[in-house]
Amino acid sequence: MILLIPLFPLAAALWCAVPRSNRAAPFVTFAASVVTLGLSLAALGAVRAVSEIVVVRNWIALDALAGLLLVLIALVYATAALFSWGYLSDEEHGRRVRLYHANFNLFAFSMLCIPLLSEIGLVWIFVELTTLLSVLLVSYALNAEALEAAWKYMVLTLLGATIAVLGILLLFWALHITGSTDFTWDGLRAAAPRMPYPLLGAAFALILVGYGAKVGFVPLHTWLPDAHSQAPSPVCAMLSGIETSAVLYVILRLRNVFASDAHLHVGTWFVTAGLVSVIVAALLILQTHDYKRLFAFSTVEHMGIMLTAAGFLTPIGDVAVLWQLVAHAVSKSFCFYAAGATLLATGTREIAGVRGLLGTSRVAAGAMLLGGLAIGGAPGFAAFLSELAIFKAGLLAHMYLAIGLLAIFIVVAFFGLLRHITHMVGGDPESRRRRLPAPCLWALGIGAIPVVLLGVWLPRGLGDTLLSAARVLGA
Amino acid sequence: MAQSIALNLAQIAFVLLLSPLFAGILARCKELVQSKRGPSIFQPYRDLRKLFSKDERVPAGSTWIFRTAPYVIFIVPLTITLLIPVLTNFPLFMAFAGDMLAAGFIFAVSGLFFTLAAIDGENTYGAMGASRTRMVGFLAEPVIIIALFTVSFVANSTIPYIVQQHWVHPIANFFAPSHILLLIAFFMIILAETGKIPVDNPSGHFELAMVDESKALEFSGRSAALVKYGGYMKFTVLAVIFLNVLTTPWGLASSGSPAAVLLAAIAVSLKIVALVLAVVVVESTYAKLRLFRIAEFLGAAFVVSVTAMVTDLLHL
Amino acid sequence: MSAVIAELNALVLGLFIITTIAMTVARQIGACMQLFIVQSLLLAASAFLLGASPVSWHLIALGCVTLASKVVVIPWVIRALVPGEVHQRRELSQTIDVPAALLISLGLTLIGYAFALHLMRSAPSLSPGNLAMGIAGLLVGLFLLAVRIEAVPQLLGILAMENGAFLAGIAVAPDFPLIAELAIAFDVPLLAFIVALLARTAYRRMGTTEVGGLSALRERVH
Repeated sequence: MILLIPLFPLAAALWCAVPRSNRAAPFVTFAASVVTLGLSLAALGAVRAVSEIVVVRNWIALDALAGLLLVLIALVYATAALFSWGYLSDEEHGRRVRLYHANFNLFAFSMLCIPLLSEIGLVWIFVELTTLLSVLLVSYALNAEALEAAWKYMVLTLLGATIAVLGILLLFWALHITGSTDFTWDGLRAAAPRMPYPLLGAAFALILVGYGAKVGFVPLHTWLPDAHSQAPSPVCAMLSGIETSAVLYVILRLRNVFASDAHLHVGTWFVTAGLVSVIVAALLILQTHDYKRLFAFSTVEHMGIMLTAAGFLTPIGDVAVLWQLVAHAVSKSFCFYAAGATLLATGTREIAGVRGLLGTSRVAAGAMLLGGLAIGGAPGFAAFLSELAIFKAGLLAHMYLAIGLLAIFIVVAFFGLLRHITHMVGGDPESRRRRLPAPCLWALGIGAIPVVLLGVWLPRGLGDTLLSAARVLGA
Repeated sequence: MAQSIALNLAQIAFVLLLSPLFAGILARCKELVQSKRGPSIFQPYRDLRKLFSKDERVPAGSTWIFRTAPYVIFIVPLTITLLIPVLTNFPLFMAFAGDMLAAGFIFAVSGLFFTLAAIDGENTYGAMGASRTRMVGFLAEPVIIIALFTVSFVANSTIPYIVQQHWVHPIANFFAPSHILLLIAFFMIILAETGKIPVDNPSGHFELAMVDESKALEFSGRSAALVKYGGYMKFTVLAVIFLNVLTTPWGLASSGSPAAVLLAAIAVSLKIVALVLAVVVVESTYAKLRLFRIAEFLGAAFVVSVTAMVTDLLHL
Repeated sequence: MSAVIAELNALVLGLFIITTIAMTVARQIGACMQLFIVQSLLLAASAFLLGASPVSWHLIALGCVTLASKVVVIPWVIRALVPGEVHQRRELSQTIDVPAALLISLGLTLIGYAFALHLMRSAPSLSPGNLAMGIAGLLVGLFLLAVRIEAVPQLLGILAMENGAFLAGIAVAPDFPLIAELAIAFDVPLLAFIVALLARTAYRRMGTTEVGGLSALRERVH
């Protein structure tokens, strides 16, 4: 059953690639994504019962952590598919819209494969594929800015992938020396204490830098705001909400391989790199001029927060990280739908160019406010709870300086976000009222449900999954 | 001792007699590649005979340097001939008087005299050519030094007769990256030092574009002949170092018998002709570089020689 | 491994790094591409040499896949997609002049060497030189990516880096399960295809492929 999950997006991509299906492409994509979401939820349910489903030993397996990511990917895939339907309903460009959907499905396919695979080499291939299959989505607008953004995105992330592949080869070498041949998450964990220190250290540095470029850690984050400001909003939701998270997932799973050698100071490196990202991103949020870049910097900030918390190396820290991962995926994708709606309503990406959004489009304004509060971590939203949990984990781990800095800059980022958003929402409307396409409204409505709900109610199933997923990470 | 002297004389005779021939072959082959008939391969001999029989004119303001320089240029390659294995693969009595570095220094003496004489000749083009040659020389210097360092790392010696034996015993040494890369670097240096095409156009007649040739513009009669002759021999000597010491130390006489030496002379001539053909290929396929690109050409040679050294230090 | 094969492999490695360095200073896109082809050939040659004795089918397969994808498919894809006039352009602009670029590349080669020595002290590998020159190739490729502003040389920079990584890989992880073949066979041609497509679109829309010079997107300082 698990093997079916990525087949649906693949089938949808093939369907969309057929020249006659211009009109049906958005619908087929959405249908495939809904089926994928259903199957993913079922798979997660099945995993909860048995702790790990092994399809092909050492190659394809699913545990609670992977299941959690799988569901998040499928969820954002579904809402983004729905939003694309309305966002790109441009009758003149039927062929381009169809090809967009084909590519979009392929992109989703490459991401869905990441949690399903347990062989690290294959995971690397699919991480690289996520870049390759999303580049042409980023350049969809085909103007100079979009092409530049796509180019930067591609060069930096492929550069990262190439650096990471050397790290992975070194890791394999180290594994080989210990006599083991299981190049999987678990196999590496088991063999890690016997690996020679220089190899492990070099692999750690290369993998952190290489995959870090793809997650968007400072100073390798420069592609992220460019790509996110130029790509169509549903693609931004995928890139920001789950693609970065999926790569972070790979780093997190490899963390304990490296943490097995105390000389590497993995925790310290994670906390340092994470804090640098948080601080720089918070300051960039204050001065940005483009609301899609605003949310992009917020992604850098969130990735930094998660990396910092993962650096505490405690089980409670891991639960908090995963909780933050969930909160980020649902809120950030929603933020980009709100940004897309605003763009449809006003036609500009400049914060200074948008005034009186409440008058232009009530829905876009509401979504913008809701998204801003949710992603900034206002009380009553999931991100608030997860950040509180991170503070608690930090206190328990005696990381006072780290959580002090974290707290300051999360607040800075929060006020930065809200300052920009209130500027856009309030004031006198500059353009006339515009109606949004129906699928966009539906996507916003559906996307808002988890954003609101998770802040006030944690479902039993999700709570259990978070706990067992944190056990998989096993700090 | 007597045999050693005889062999040395044979080596000198080889260089002296055959150098113009190699230059003639080079010129002829280049013309053939360009679908022309070209002069006979013996043309350089005729040129030299003609120049030797002509009157010599000396610029009015020139000093003794101008008059001695042609002799220095003529003598230097012959001196180096004494130090290197031209025909025999066993050391002759001068073999340990100087190593490859010494050969480089002796060449520098002739270069110095040539440069000074060019300036002394009071011709503007001479001074220009002199400064250009110096530029090429300065840039080639580090490459030569690094190449010789590499040789000494690899063979633990810079005496040509010892180095020569190292590359082929065992034969695996021949394929060592330090060896092959060294050859590439050295070939590039030969092209630069003897004024061949990517660096200089030896058959060009446009004074402004000349590097090497313009230095000889003021010489006439016997001096011109000596300078030309010295240039031919310089190429032959460098080719001998390249072929007999660095590349293919085969075909040399291992005994002093006249037959062996004669055979060696034929074998070495064939090898030099092969090198001449390689130079023809390079000269016909590439265009002359702009003056400031020469730095890049020699920079590339430098990279190659350093890589040769690094791969040797790596014990690859 | 016999001595001759070891020396031949070492020679291939030396030529590999020289080709990589030459790519950073080549003045024409066509020359850059030919150098890349030579570099890939050398990678394949190293794989064949290391796989010759004792026979390792894995490495031989890797060599064959490299030949098929990097020597045949990728140049074909790039030539087919990127307009001809881009290839014929001479005098590519470069952010660093040639002698400086050569020296920096040399420095990077030495750094790669030092790094590899550090690693090799802890563990045995099939061919120590491959690791050193592979890491050096990766670094020089990175440098190539940094100094070139044209699309195709930047793409070739990424591919050169990848060649470096795999050159190191075949020595330290000769029985690496499948990933190398899969990556080279499918990922890399796809990469070339997409990048070339992007370069072509950029050329059509903007009349240039100097993508590195684009700087419309930047945080403006108020």
